Amino acid sequence: MSLTITLSVNGKSHSAALEPSMSLLDLLRDTLNYKGTKLCCNTGECGACTILLNGKPINSCVTLAADANDAQITTVEGLAEGDRLHPVQQAFIDTGAVQCGYCTPGFIISVKALLDRAPKPTAEEIEEAVSGNICRCTGYAKIVDAIQIAAERLAGGS
Amino acid sequence: MAKAEYRILGTSIPRMGGVERVTGAGIYGIDLVLQGAVRGGVLRSQHAHAKILSIDTSEAKALPGVYAVVTAADAPDVKYGRTSMDRYMLAKDKVRYMGDPVAAVAAESEAVVKQALKKIRVVYEPLPVVLDPEQAMKPEAPTLHEEVPLPANLPKDARVKNVCAFLTVHVGDPDKAMAEADLVVEEAYETKMVHPQYLEPRIAAARHEVDGRLTIWVNAQAPFGVRSEVAKLLKIPLSKVRVLATEIGGGFGGKASGITSGAGLEPICGLLAMKAGRPVMIVLDKAEETISTTIRAGTKMWLQTGAKKDGTIVARKGKLIFDAGAYSGFGALAGSRATQMLAGWYLAPNVHIDGYVVYTNKQVCGPVRGPGGPQAAFAVESHMDSIAAKLDMDPVELRLKNVPKRGDRIVGVPKLRDVSLGETIRVAAERIGWGKVKLDKNQGIGIATGSWIEGSGPGGGAIVKVNEDGSATVHIGKVDYGTAARFGIPMIVAEELGVPPEDVAVMNVDTDASPWDAGTVGSRSILVSGNAARLAAIDARSQLLRMAARQLEASPDDLEIKDRQIRVKGTPAKSLSLASVANAAHNEIGEVIGRGYFDSKASEAEEKEKGSSPPFTTHAAIVEVDPDTGRVKILKYVAVHDVGFVIHPKAVEGQIEGATAMSIGQALCEQVVFDDKGRTLNPTFVDYLMPTVNMLPRIESVTVAGYPGAGPYGAKGAGEIGCVPPMAAIANAIYNATGVRIRKLPLSPENVLRALREGSR
Repeated sequence: MSLTITLSVNGKSHSAALEPSMSLLDLLRDTLNYKGTKLCCNTGECGACTILLNGKPINSCVTLAADANDAQITTVEGLAEGDRLHPVQQAFIDTGAVQCGYCTPGFIISVKALLDRAPKPTAEEIEEAVSGNICRCTGYAKIVDAIQIAAERLAGGS
Repeated sequence: MAKAEYRILGTSIPRMGGVERVTGAGIYGIDLVLQGAVRGGVLRSQHAHAKILSIDTSEAKALPGVYAVVTAADAPDVKYGRTSMDRYMLAKDKVRYMGDPVAAVAAESEAVVKQALKKIRVVYEPLPVVLDPEQAMKPEAPTLHEEVPLPANLPKDARVKNVCAFLTVHVGDPDKAMAEADLVVEEAYETKMVHPQYLEPRIAAARHEVDGRLTIWVNAQAPFGVRSEVAKLLKIPLSKVRVLATEIGGGFGGKASGITSGAGLEPICGLLAMKAGRPVMIVLDKAEETISTTIRAGTKMWLQTGAKKDGTIVARKGKLIFDAGAYSGFGALAGSRATQMLAGWYLAPNVHIDGYVVYTNKQVCGPVRGPGGPQAAFAVESHMDSIAAKLDMDPVELRLKNVPKRGDRIVGVPKLRDVSLGETIRVAAERIGWGKVKLDKNQGIGIATGSWIEGSGPGGGAIVKVNEDGSATVHIGKVDYGTAARFGIPMIVAEELGVPPEDVAVMNVDTDASPWDAGTVGSRSILVSGNAARLAAIDARSQLLRMAARQLEASPDDLEIKDRQIRVKGTPAKSLSLASVANAAHNEIGEVIGRGYFDSKASEAEEKEKGSSPPFTTHAAIVEVDPDTGRVKILKYVAVHDVGFVIHPKAVEGQIEGATAMSIGQALCEQVVFDDKGRTLNPTFVDYLMPTVNMLPRIESVTVAGYPGAGPYGAKGAGEIGCVPPMAAIANAIYNATGVRIRKLPLSPENVLRALREGSR
């Protein structure tokens, strides 16, 4: 049995035929070729596959693709405007928060969601927003720096 | 040398490859798409120890969509191993841990692979299982490797079995010194198996080319190791194997060491591709990864130390039982480092340590970040505090009392040059507020030191090609997973060539094109590739200056390259663009290609003569222990490191902070848990706990200057040493808070609570 859904990814509309059991992550990566979103634990624990579904950060590995019918999806590929990186992306580079970079897309999406809803996040809000994202390289210090700098830059730019 | 002498070195420029990583454009192993590729999968043993009586693959082969099914019978009869050839790529006759590869399938989809794996009928005869290395040494334990002889250097009276390596360190007369000591402290410590849990799953992809060559894509730390091992195991000439590295999502040693860490993934994939006649890609599932790939070994450690009343350590005796797992893997090498480090990195005139590396029916020990070091340091540095407590001496004072000086020897270093240990202790004590900070009830302060004696190993090369626009393309044999390859190394080349860093590109490894290298291991990227890249850039610069000198009618010695211009020093008007000289090279020498090589033998000989300057570190922590739940919260954490000259400050801080976080994970929560049959009980991230941002304090990393190392400009490796002190620093802080000494990891709420209750009885 297969079903067809339509959804918008980074502003581009797609239609896809899929098995009902397919995860949103597999749809994005394998069918629609958005490979910036990363596969890791497949159990919703590490946050590497975080995307925005109608503006809310979710673990796409434990979300059914079928549930994204008519949804607006944002992946890490959808943040930069041409050559201009999103302030969150730029901040991750500037603070040295990117080592191997495998967790980075998931973190950046979680942080974008945070700053969309809380432009001046407290330390607690920052911690809470990325507590579902695992990074094995950095020990998180530089990532927290990046979030703070991104918030400042976004606030200054608005 | 001071930072002011350099244009670029010593600054935290944006990491090369950063834009690809923040936009999702980087192609990691898992992102590979190969035209026409089918999927591969591995059947793994469901017994921790069993004879294989028969394997029937006929039903699997008959399944529609299956391209190939392979077992040991399809592979050449070749064993592999680092120190002992004790393993086949696919198990033959026997399996020795739950996860041992037995067969593999290539099929049109992941779903068909899974179905086919289920249809392979393996008949096992279960054998007794031994999981505890101490039990495995006993005469009544089952024999794991009938064909592997006991190490020849075992003491004659040792009645042991299943020992895969025996290591010993002996200095002076420890028996006599121990007998004469004012105080003798004896303790036993234990650490558990942990998995490096890099986030990107391991992959292998292979294509059998029409000319008979085998192309293999890997997210491995040692692509040249993969090439030689694949050639050996598939019995094909090395020249027929090409290995291409993808971007790599973490490794920490887990993806190192040729194929031994991947549980044979690359040769299995190659064999499948050859049999299937189609490209094959294997992606390990994370749970499969946790049970089958290599890990940081568990240890049991006994220490006995004799000291004088004033705190001077006079003798150290010790024993290590190091769990190699089912095969030798990296066990003997990590065990050797742990044996050495049990002697400590303080003055130790009389030492005897015996290290037994022992086979068990568990997954295999690999080279995980500072292999053997963190385990040993947990014992050594917890033990230091126990000695201090017995002497009623301040732990900082005891450590400072035993710090070596220039010219001294410590175990593993025949002659010390610059010794930063004391300074790291003093700085850490000051930063944490040792003796000053006011601690509330249930709070405690702890300190622990460490060293990481950079192991000897082969050298490696670098090639710097100067393109006709003046930009440079750098080839090295090391990969970029967040260490020097695309942080420090492009900076070094830019510095020496007189170009901005954005003009330098460091290529990923292609074994057909890159200079040979032993792999991105052992904190050696900056040492090996950094030195080699510096020399290659200097070579390229000399070629450019020689050509420019003819055009400018000057001596090459009078020229300099600055801001993409070659000019006569002091006469800026007389200049040529770097691009024009590089372009002119087409008609003279073809292309400016600088070559550099890190001569490890010469470097070691120099250190032998002049003394070496290993990195030292001290970490300090303040913790709060909840007496009702046993939960340990780290309130403040300081990590002070001597890493020599700092080329990229943020990169170095990132290495220190990341390594520290990993070991805090091992200290507080991480472990691979087994049932009594050898089945892993926590293979997924749901059950395998790792530090998240809300579990860690902000790790304050501090570097101390002025202790140059053997790397370029006096740099030292920084990737591993941060893993060494955290476990003891936290255990010592818990002791300070509660008066209870916990000698077994992890310091999880459950274990801490149990210890508190036992301690209060």
